[in-house]
Amino acid sequence: MASNGIKDRVAIVGMGCTPFGERWDKSGEDLLVDAAKDVYASANVEPDAVDAYWLGTMGSGTSGLMLSEALKLPYKPVTRLENMCATGSEAMRNAAYAVASGAYDLVMAIGVEKLKDSGYSGLVTSRPPDDGTSASMTAPAMFSLLAPAYAKKYGVDEGELKEVISRIAWKNHCNGAKNPKAQFRKEVPMERIQNSPRVAGMFGIFDCSGVSDGSAAAILCRAEDAHKYTDSPIFIKALSFAAGPAEGAYSQDYDFTTFQEVVASAQDAYGQAGVANPREEISMAEVHDCFTATELVLMEDLGFSARGEGWKDVLGGRFDGDGAQPVNPDGGLKSFGHPIGASGLRMMYEMWLQLRGEAGERQIAEPKLGLTHNLGGQPGRCVSFVSIVGK
Amino acid sequence: MSERFFPDSMPAPLASATTLPWWEAAAEHRLVVQRCTSCEHTRHPPAPICPECRSGESDWKEVSGRGEVYTFTIVHRPIAAGQELPYLVAVIALEGSGGLRIISNLVGVDPGEVAIGLPVEVVWEEMSADLAIPRFRPVSEEEPR
Repeated sequence: MASNGIKDRVAIVGMGCTPFGERWDKSGEDLLVDAAKDVYASANVEPDAVDAYWLGTMGSGTSGLMLSEALKLPYKPVTRLENMCATGSEAMRNAAYAVASGAYDLVMAIGVEKLKDSGYSGLVTSRPPDDGTSASMTAPAMFSLLAPAYAKKYGVDEGELKEVISRIAWKNHCNGAKNPKAQFRKEVPMERIQNSPRVAGMFGIFDCSGVSDGSAAAILCRAEDAHKYTDSPIFIKALSFAAGPAEGAYSQDYDFTTFQEVVASAQDAYGQAGVANPREEISMAEVHDCFTATELVLMEDLGFSARGEGWKDVLGGRFDGDGAQPVNPDGGLKSFGHPIGASGLRMMYEMWLQLRGEAGERQIAEPKLGLTHNLGGQPGRCVSFVSIVGK
Repeated sequence: MSERFFPDSMPAPLASATTLPWWEAAAEHRLVVQRCTSCEHTRHPPAPICPECRSGESDWKEVSGRGEVYTFTIVHRPIAAGQELPYLVAVIALEGSGGLRIISNLVGVDPGEVAIGLPVEVVWEEMSADLAIPRFRPVSEEEPR
């Protein structure tokens, strides 16, 4: 995959994030205003200083007007974009390229989703795909196919694999319990996770991420301007994106133990950032744990664990908040919640806090490089985003 | 009228210029796969361009409707009102299709009796006068394969 990258050319100089959860008191516009106020304050800028905006929302708005009306922006360029569950990361990626190109000096990427007032539980998509036969394939059903496939390929007993995925939920709840902005701020005992009502396949309720409302935002500029706004900016080392041709779900070559799109985007990101050994060089990561088994497979696709070894690393505590390579230290989609358009920026918000030493109880000791990974779609048919950031 | 497995409230697919021939065959209870006329590579679901050679020319090949369960999942939550629970979603490896799979539902089988590799055959569910959707059931043992 060919990309030149923009390593160390763009800085993040401010970030904001609302509490995620069932925000019945707030509209999508209210959440945007809250996140925007937070990020303006973080970057020490007045709204007029920001030259252009990228708004990510999967379904809570339809154009740049959602943001320009909410913030009363006077005739500024506002792009609304969508790329499934990777929408928030896409807003940031496109905003970063705009400052890197020199077209603008200071830009905002902001993401929002208002899921709880839709009348449905979970995501609603209106178009049964293609031949219509997969209309009954819900999101948990799609991702539930990963667990037995992984167990079979690597000879892990299914009971043991249930413990592995439950431990991922347990870990992410432990982390979320320390996060004042998370949707679920409670530790949950392993036994309760393992015995929760079944949703699809091996997944119970606790294997699924939170359905939530929320907004998160970043302000970016060229690296040489970063210290005008803050003493401790963070710098983009890599931004990569891969959209697959979607053969995976239908071709007999695919075995449901990997996301080829993640492998491609991770390799591209490591190339841009000059990372040779992600297991050793990436200090921490926020990854797309839409379901627990997704996080397990991602550990291998991102190169944090060798193929077939990720489950042992999970059980050994490698990815715990106090482990050798913390994953989802803020609670992840599982516990922080998953307001689609905001999630990618929420991941970056945690990198911002951690790299600046502002993560409080969750603080990781001396993190150097952080990775965010954002996925949209399903096994065999998805889009994948990877970023690497550092000081 | 064919046997019904899912309620009318299930989301109905929309045919496009590319998928219409597939749906017309389905309405006649024929399961077809798209085949590139340049390189013979088959593909599913129907798509405008061959993933192998990127040709836009294609025709349709009828398959037997038999196959086996590659993987499956038991879903305990409804997607549509009035649905029977739990229901089964499966990835079926289609016999004679050139290495294709189809995502569908298993019907007429107890979830506890489904296993990877289970031989299955298509059963058509007529959702409305002009919409038949392929589901799959275990191959009946009496009938020769």
